[in-house]
Amino acid sequence: MDGKRPFLDPTVLARLLPLQLHARHAMLGSVSGKHRSPVRGSSLEFAQYRKYVPGDDTRRLDWRTWGRSDRFYIKEFEADTNLRLCLLIDGSGSMDFGPSGATRLDYARRLASTLGYLAAQQGDAVGLWSMAEKEIDIPARRGAAHLGLVLDQMEGIRPIGGTTLLTALHEAAEQIRQRALVIIFSDLFVPPAELKQAIQHLRFRKHDVAAFHLLDESEITFEFDQPARFIDMEGGDPVLADPSIIARNYRRAVKQYLTDLDEIVRTTGVDYHRVKLHERYDDVLVRFLLGRVPKRGAR
Amino acid sequence: MTLLQPAILFALPLAALPVIIHLIHYYRRRQVKWAAMMFLHAAQRMNKGLSRLRQILILLLRVLAVAAILFVVGRPLAGGWLGLTGGAPDTVMILVDRSASMEQINPATGVSKRAAGLRNIAKAINDAVGSRSRLVLIDSALGKPLPIEKANTLLDLPQTEATDTAADIPALFQSALDYITANKTGRTDVWLLSDLQQSDWDSSGGRWEALRAAFTALQGVRFHILCYPQPARDDLAVNVDRVVRRESGDKAELLLDLRISRHVENPQPIEVPLRFAVNGAVTSTKVTLKENQLALQSYAVPIDKETKRGWGRVDLPADSWAGNNTYYFVFDDPPPLHSVIVSDDPAQTEPLRAALSAPLDPSRKYTTTVLPTSRAAEIPWDTAALILWQGALPKAGDVLAHQLQAYAASGRSVFFLPPESPDANELFGLHWGNWESAPTEKADTVEWWRNDAGLLANTRDGASLPVGSLEVTRHCTIVGNGLPLARVAGNAPLLVRSAADQSRGVYFLGTLPGPGASSLARDGVVMYAMLHRVLLDGAKNLGKARQGFAAANVLGADPSKWHPADKTAAATDSTSLPLRAGVDASGDQLLALNRPPGEDQPATISTGMLHDLLAGLDFRVLTDNLEDERSLTNEVWRTFLVAMAVALLLEALISMPQRREAPAVKRNGASPDSNGTPPFSSAKPEPETTSATS
Repeated sequence: MDGKRPFLDPTVLARLLPLQLHARHAMLGSVSGKHRSPVRGSSLEFAQYRKYVPGDDTRRLDWRTWGRSDRFYIKEFEADTNLRLCLLIDGSGSMDFGPSGATRLDYARRLASTLGYLAAQQGDAVGLWSMAEKEIDIPARRGAAHLGLVLDQMEGIRPIGGTTLLTALHEAAEQIRQRALVIIFSDLFVPPAELKQAIQHLRFRKHDVAAFHLLDESEITFEFDQPARFIDMEGGDPVLADPSIIARNYRRAVKQYLTDLDEIVRTTGVDYHRVKLHERYDDVLVRFLLGRVPKRGAR
Repeated sequence: MTLLQPAILFALPLAALPVIIHLIHYYRRRQVKWAAMMFLHAAQRMNKGLSRLRQILILLLRVLAVAAILFVVGRPLAGGWLGLTGGAPDTVMILVDRSASMEQINPATGVSKRAAGLRNIAKAINDAVGSRSRLVLIDSALGKPLPIEKANTLLDLPQTEATDTAADIPALFQSALDYITANKTGRTDVWLLSDLQQSDWDSSGGRWEALRAAFTALQGVRFHILCYPQPARDDLAVNVDRVVRRESGDKAELLLDLRISRHVENPQPIEVPLRFAVNGAVTSTKVTLKENQLALQSYAVPIDKETKRGWGRVDLPADSWAGNNTYYFVFDDPPPLHSVIVSDDPAQTEPLRAALSAPLDPSRKYTTTVLPTSRAAEIPWDTAALILWQGALPKAGDVLAHQLQAYAASGRSVFFLPPESPDANELFGLHWGNWESAPTEKADTVEWWRNDAGLLANTRDGASLPVGSLEVTRHCTIVGNGLPLARVAGNAPLLVRSAADQSRGVYFLGTLPGPGASSLARDGVVMYAMLHRVLLDGAKNLGKARQGFAAANVLGADPSKWHPADKTAAATDSTSLPLRAGVDASGDQLLALNRPPGEDQPATISTGMLHDLLAGLDFRVLTDNLEDERSLTNEVWRTFLVAMAVALLLEALISMPQRREAPAVKRNGASPDSNGTPPFSSAKPEPETTSATS
């Protein structure tokens, strides 16, 4: 399977396999797994003591504590479960933008497919959402065959039209019933206020939300030396602009937008990663995975 | 504003080139597929007003720059505030033709050519240079440079007032040249105000060539010729050619030879009232002028028998030129026409004496005295109207030379004939050269002579003197500064008038009348006419009542001794007295001054002739008329050059790219990887572009 997927680089996979994809919040998986569950379970990981109440299983009484304190305490342990990874890829026309030879969507595919592969390898369920030429809505499931389906669908995404990212986020928030790790791959060219609402919607549904914000350097610096007709890749009206006149305000608008995004990150707790398209994607993933490793004693 | 190169106006649509180029670029600019349109829209919203204004400003400035270039090429002329930028010369010289004909007026406004021209020049100078240049005035009547403070004072100076004199325009140019050369005036603008009257410009004279050469050698001298060549309309002029007092019985009367003239193409008969005033007594009459000229011969004006001498005037009704409506005259017993021949050669003396003794006017007395050169000191200097000198010239500095110069300066005539043995002595700027003989088989003839004026001019009825039939067997060359009046074969001057100062009546004839030299005595008509003309010229300055023409030196070195004979006349200062027509008195002397006859001639030099006279000089001709009160203009191409530079500078400032701000991008600790080739690396992000579509 690996050799057939253009987005999966065996070298990168070999480099990343030692790392695990962790959820930052408790998951509600269907089977036992490597991720923390909100319910108490029978794992070896101690969770807490609580006072005995009638009806509790007397087998779970901690007799040593009774011996020391002459009180009954129940010893509880963490429950481990699997993770539902929902990959949400922006399929708007602007995802077709990028440096020559590689588009933003290509970059998103590489990130998403690699993360999906890693999740599948650690027994987690993987699903895919995208609203592009055709709507893709693949619920998260486990298994290699399902991963193959996800990757096939991912390969078939054709960026076109205006952005439907916000709609996709809201729909994902409604449709994904159990807690999941939702990772967004997008240029996020949407109004920050509406983006904030969409992310809050996901967070409200107890989802762990991460976002890869894919930008090209030229979109930030706006380095043009001649007037040009700018064709909207999402199908809007073209704009005639003289960069020498407009560049200053363009950069000002970019700066304001990025500031707003930082505010969204701060208030929603989204795992936000701003990525330049000329960066190596495996470095980006390493940074992402390492950033999600739980700190000692913080489970 | 006008253009010296008006054809450039056809290129004015080129000023729209920046707009056209802008539109072409607008519709043919390259296309860029762009994703981050939300920032572009936001930037455009922020930039909307300012951006549009900036773009329009840039286009306007570019159009202005191109238009300014076109105007620079077109060499614009402008007066007013725009003329201020024409560049100020170091010196501005104002040459004013104050001749009588400049007093022709526009009947509607009462403004003369001189006043209108002075006003226009003053305004042009004020507009163009203000007080940045040194101003120097030279007028035709006095011919002396006068520094002035402000151009506005031109209208109030005595040196620019009306006169009844003639103008010597070449002399005016010469005065300007002398001033420029002597004072190193730097970049100089010379304004000349004139009516281009032919007699004043002396276009056929020999001085123009030397003037052209001298001015061409100077750097930075530019001429502005402001001319008013339009003739006066419906103008009548009166002249008195002769005044004789006659007694018959118990009556006395003045016999006047009058001429009334006009210059119209289709003359219609008109009745002209004439008014005579003699010693305060006024008589009037009416005459009918059918053609362009009416001559009244011996028109009798009765006077008191006791009135032996006096003065009077003839007046015409006022018209567009008041200066030629009046003619002053004086009368008295005419002095005897006394001539003195100084010669040691009786063979030459006798025909001269015979010619001078034969009376031209039977009413006058003709006397001739013959003296050898050794007795030249006995010349009756006070009574002689003409001195004929045939012999070696007195040495300069001798008493005799001084006496001759003083005699000539008084306006009387001196006529030199060559000695048999010429020497190098020079007098009145001329001296004798060597005798040259004609080929033995054939005598020389006079190949050219001046027949419009001077001693050999045609007779009053237009017939020419038989100068061409004269035979000159030998002639003595005449060397020096003089005005030739006749030339023999080989272009050698035969008759020359001295061009030295105060020697208007000094002539050099390069041959002798007797046999062996010429046929002057044998064919006596030419000699007779020539000698009597020079005698009459000299006699005009004899006697106690004389006629003259207004000129700066006509009252002698001390004009303050003179005063207007008319006690009722307005007081006139002694400087301007010789310049105005009228009758002046000094002791028992009476002098009637009138405008010179050339001033009555409406002929002007053509524009082509003017260009020929000033060929090679930097000049422009501004033809004005009395009805046109527009201000004069200057070349203002510098203004447009500055406008172009300013436009380009502003355009560059507005078009200058704005300072780039460092993009505020949070890098999240990411840095470009130097290991291996990143799959999404790009040395310089280059958006995808497509070719132009329209």
